Amino acid sequence: MAAGFKTAEPLEYHRSFLKENCRPDGRELSEFRSTTLNIGSISTADGSALVKLGNTTIICGIKAELTNPTVDAPGKGYIVPNVDLPPLCSSRFRPGPPGEQAQAASQFIADIIESSEVIKKEDLCIGRGKLCWVLYCDIMCLDYDGNILDACVVALLAALKTTQLPEVTINKETSAPEVNFEKKHKLNIHRHPVSVSFCIFDDSILIVDPTAEEESLSTARLTVVMDEEDQLCSLHKPGGTPLSGEKLQECIKRATARKGEIHKLIEKVIKSMKTAQ
Amino acid sequence: VSFLRRSKFEEGGMMEVSASNNVSLREFGCEQNLLSRPDGSASFVQGDTSVMAGVYGPAEVKVSKEIYDRATLEVLLQPKVGPAGVREQSQEQCVRETCEAALLLSLHPRSSLTLILQVLHDDGSLLSCCLNAACMALMDAGLSMSCLFCGVTCAIGADGDIIADPTAAQEKESRALMTFAIDSTERRVMMSSTKGSFSVQELQECVAVSQKASEKVFQFYRDSVRRRYSKNL
Amino acid sequence: LASGMFSSLKEKIGEVLLPGDEFVFESEDTIFLTDNVKPERPVCGPGLRQSGNRLVVSKSGVLRHKPPHTFWMDSQQWRYVPAKAETVIGIVTSKSGDIFKVDVGGSEQASLSYLAFEGATKRNRPNVQVGDLVFAQFTVANKDMEPELVCIDGSGRANGMGVFGGGGLLLKVSLGLVRRLLAPQSDIRSDLEQLFPCELVVGMNGRIWVRASTIQQTLIISNLLQSCDTLTAPQRREQFRKLQKGGL
Repeated sequence: MAAGFKTAEPLEYHRSFLKENCRPDGRELSEFRSTTLNIGSISTADGSALVKLGNTTIICGIKAELTNPTVDAPGKGYIVPNVDLPPLCSSRFRPGPPGEQAQAASQFIADIIESSEVIKKEDLCIGRGKLCWVLYCDIMCLDYDGNILDACVVALLAALKTTQLPEVTINKETSAPEVNFEKKHKLNIHRHPVSVSFCIFDDSILIVDPTAEEESLSTARLTVVMDEEDQLCSLHKPGGTPLSGEKLQECIKRATARKGEIHKLIEKVIKSMKTAQ
Repeated sequence: VSFLRRSKFEEGGMMEVSASNNVSLREFGCEQNLLSRPDGSASFVQGDTSVMAGVYGPAEVKVSKEIYDRATLEVLLQPKVGPAGVREQSQEQCVRETCEAALLLSLHPRSSLTLILQVLHDDGSLLSCCLNAACMALMDAGLSMSCLFCGVTCAIGADGDIIADPTAAQEKESRALMTFAIDSTERRVMMSSTKGSFSVQELQECVAVSQKASEKVFQFYRDSVRRRYSKNL
Repeated sequence: LASGMFSSLKEKIGEVLLPGDEFVFESEDTIFLTDNVKPERPVCGPGLRQSGNRLVVSKSGVLRHKPPHTFWMDSQQWRYVPAKAETVIGIVTSKSGDIFKVDVGGSEQASLSYLAFEGATKRNRPNVQVGDLVFAQFTVANKDMEPELVCIDGSGRANGMGVFGGGGLLLKVSLGLVRRLLAPQSDIRSDLEQLFPCELVVGMNGRIWVRASTIQQTLIISNLLQSCDTLTAPQRREQFRKLQKGGL
């Protein structure tokens, strides 16, 4: 009976739960799904992380390459994020060039890196105008069950935190780069942004961490990105039904609580990895 | 661009929106119904930023894009030079979802609406100018809407002061940049797109400034539509 | 009673309103036991929507009123949306089996049965070719169904409808202009009548077909009609006067 109701009237089905202040999967309105993190899962990458947010699974690999800095920013390296939503993760994605959602997610991640200054791009420069690092951050979705943005940001942050780059010096005489693989050091992470996504149901009910089904039935989406100093890095709401100032305040409050949980999680996992070694 | 502005807007009448309660916007200009082919068109000018918008529809829809209970809205944003890139695409998404929330799409099921935005000149606050041009063009096409929306861009300068409707130079100097779409009925936030980092306090101030600025933009909308209909009265 | 709303609505007649503007009914929670007259509610025409105790404008334009309680928005629009009982000029685009497909300028082609002509029977098919113009009326026009046209009225008579159009010119104008032409006392029409004799077929979908005695005169009228959209009434009269002096 319930299954039939869910298929025939998905919106009514969700509404009947929301009326009781809970959701079909048993969560409260402001409750996240359980988040798990695994770091160093890709041995060939310079840094990597795998994040599970309920069923949503995101893997992020970071590959560093040496390159020439651009002419207009000779003292800076650069970061190239890319979000891939392959047909594997959900039937809604088709093979071929990246769809709108994948491009929007890539742009969102690029904007966060830019706005929050996770990494100072000057840190990636080795020789001014001559040599710098480029970090390719490839983020791939393995299982799509909504709220990929939050998972992507956690995966990216954890992967960056585990990234180790070899020391590079420029030989004065030949001006060729010399890479010392013996001596590796970590990236300097300046800020720790955490993203929190919301969906709005029926113009008024706010739910956090939506599943794929909730996302498709909602009337608007909102993502708040906040760092450890309570600075907002992004307030992304690509249209949809309007939101009042009070609701916005509610979202920010929830984000403040969530960012602490994520920071703790990342610290815990990194610490446990160290003791395991 | 300057040629177009001179010829189109001289008799149309520009409007100076300026400092009564510390929200000052640049000079606005708008002309509706200036293209003959689209079903609705408008050009919107904010200072030196200028965007032209055209709307086609409700027209026949491709079977692959057909939605059984509402119209399919497509938004195309053409930059001044070169092909549209990833940034344009994310802006298209913002404009589209804002329009979708304002339009009564269920009145025209299984049909298509196409909104084309052509950037004529970018001197800052481009996304908000696109939103304003889009709203005027949708109105010109006679499509049913539940409310209007307008775009307001706010820049937070290095010293923390908030500039509404910044120029490109002011945008470049700013620490953070936010664009909001505000609805006309309750002045709530329909769309938000930000760049740079800012505190919660600053966000609230910017929202308040945008809401205040939106009053002026909506009044400007009303004046331009009135001017347009004055011919047929 | 809703008299408060009526007075606020009536104040705005002839004014330009924008989508989202709303009028709120006076609270009707007081029930008049002695008064068995139903509270009068306004009848909403195009561009107005009623939801609960509010009346919301959904199209920009000028508020119009027809006594006693009908209100609507008069707006400038180019795209036609079919409405029941409206007469339009269509172009036959294809014949398939028992029906013709007709382009009326809406989002979907309308269908026209070959039996929906005066005197048509299964054996006596009307002579309609692809590309012909038809003047027809909608019998079915709603958002969820394919629009249907007929070329006969309720009693089976053509009543001016059917295939037409030899030697004339078809032009497209705004829907607002068409409504002004079709209004009972149309000043544009009376101005036109003073120029020279001509035949006009006006479809509610913004299409006008013109034929005068010479091609020159046909073109003059079509140009005049197309310019009417952007002219104010005095400007238009000036144009007509110029033509009358120079052309005749």
